[in-house]
Amino acid sequence: MAEMWINMGPQHPMTHGLWNLRVKVDGETIVDAEPEVGYLHRGIEKICEGLTYPQIIPIADRLCYGSSLTWSHLYCLTVEDLMDVEVPERAEYIRVMSIEMQRIASHLMWLAAYAGDLGLSVGFTYTMRDREVFVDLLQALTGSRLTYNYPRIGGVAHDLPPDFERDALRAVEYMERRLKEYEDLFEGSKIFMMRNVGIGILRKEDGMNLGVTGPSLRASGVSYDLRKDMPYSVYPEMDFNVAIHKDGDCYARYRVRMDEMWESCRIIRQALRKMPEGRWRIVAPRTAPAETGLGRVEDPRGEAVMYVVGDGSDKPYRLKIRSPIFVTVSAAPKILVGYKLADVVAIMGGLDMCIGENDR
Amino acid sequence: MSEGDERGRAGVVSIEKAPSRIDEDPGLRVLRAIADSFPEAVSGGTQLKPGVLRVHVERADLYSVCRNLKESLGFEHLTMISAVDYEDRFEIVYHITSYEARLLLELITSTPKDDPSVDSISTIWGGANWQEREAFDLMGVVFRSHPKLERILLPKDVLYHPLRKDFKG
Repeated sequence: MAEMWINMGPQHPMTHGLWNLRVKVDGETIVDAEPEVGYLHRGIEKICEGLTYPQIIPIADRLCYGSSLTWSHLYCLTVEDLMDVEVPERAEYIRVMSIEMQRIASHLMWLAAYAGDLGLSVGFTYTMRDREVFVDLLQALTGSRLTYNYPRIGGVAHDLPPDFERDALRAVEYMERRLKEYEDLFEGSKIFMMRNVGIGILRKEDGMNLGVTGPSLRASGVSYDLRKDMPYSVYPEMDFNVAIHKDGDCYARYRVRMDEMWESCRIIRQALRKMPEGRWRIVAPRTAPAETGLGRVEDPRGEAVMYVVGDGSDKPYRLKIRSPIFVTVSAAPKILVGYKLADVVAIMGGLDMCIGENDR
Repeated sequence: MSEGDERGRAGVVSIEKAPSRIDEDPGLRVLRAIADSFPEAVSGGTQLKPGVLRVHVERADLYSVCRNLKESLGFEHLTMISAVDYEDRFEIVYHITSYEARLLLELITSTPKDDPSVDSISTIWGGANWQEREAFDLMGVVFRSHPKLERILLPKDVLYHPLRKDFKG
């Protein structure tokens, strides 16, 4: 049969944001694929060159609406590295706790979208409802629901609100009950399992060579988690396991994210227990030296890195942002080729695309 | 001279080098291994903090240094490629990670303003492919022998490279 190119996107139920996946099919089988991105390019790196260091924090939030807190946290880490600022210990614990909440919220949103993609509508409604618990917590902590503008260079904007620990522990307990239910719901669904197991296999060697990071790499059997391997903040104080799986298929990616939510619950409990009293913010300098700073965090989607160049003024000379999903989606053709057109939805959904950070 | 003789001589040279101490810091060991293999090409090897190294490399030798990093020193993951526009040069900064040794290497090469081009390393690390395209798109750095050097974030008919300092809206 003649081969032909099909555009899936930029307006397509699969894409979750504006991007285009061109697939070349021979009948139903994919023989080539080519993601096209850039529809949401806002020039954030260029915008940042015209703003002062604190003004960039809300811009960093807007890199990804699904996990905005990790991006502003990463930005603050990077600038603190550039300015040699020591953050108070209490602030570090608050940050770790809040970004783990953000990780759960982000994974739940992924799970909701994924369930919707695979025709499991009840999975969509359950997970979106329970994501609300953590969004409410973050709203109590930061004051807003989606883009938080909470970390500051040298700490966090304000201390925990009253009764926050009680509410957070309740939310974690609730979440752990819910996670069991999700596992029954999803893994008990024949359709969900048929569309996941053995689909979209990413070999370990390909994942490492193509720069895939985060849950997608750990699902292929590589134990690479910056929280463990190159720890930042107070992660060395935390007792948690890195979720890995060896199969490398869509089910493995789903499983890794579920296990990560369990581990995030553990980390939140420990952070609340170990959190010391004291200050949560120090005054950071307005200007940065003419040096470079580097920050790396384990985003819910993989390895997020920022590289900042200072020039002695109060604005960065250059801020480079490494989006984990930008590199992961470049590996998509390797995963897609050989599967059927109907598997595209499961495979691309399983990578957890976020166009905001992808296009910057 | 046959090929076997070449290999034999190389073996003798490596034995004559001072052996690395086992208890040596892994970062320093990597820095010395790079400096030993490419005495002409690299300079300014420092350890910024535990686990983070910085090395400057001549752009003509970038490809062979990267090959050596991946094949002999275990740097299997290319994290990030950044291009920076300074007044007198473009700097291209490669952050390369070793999963096993838990090291991050910052490899810096610079190009003159009138010829911003380096060799593509996307045949060494596949993950470099899109990042090089991004650096080409936004900063106008040409990566020689890249498989498909096209714009990726901006439309194909755009005539400027917006992250350059001389670009004003």
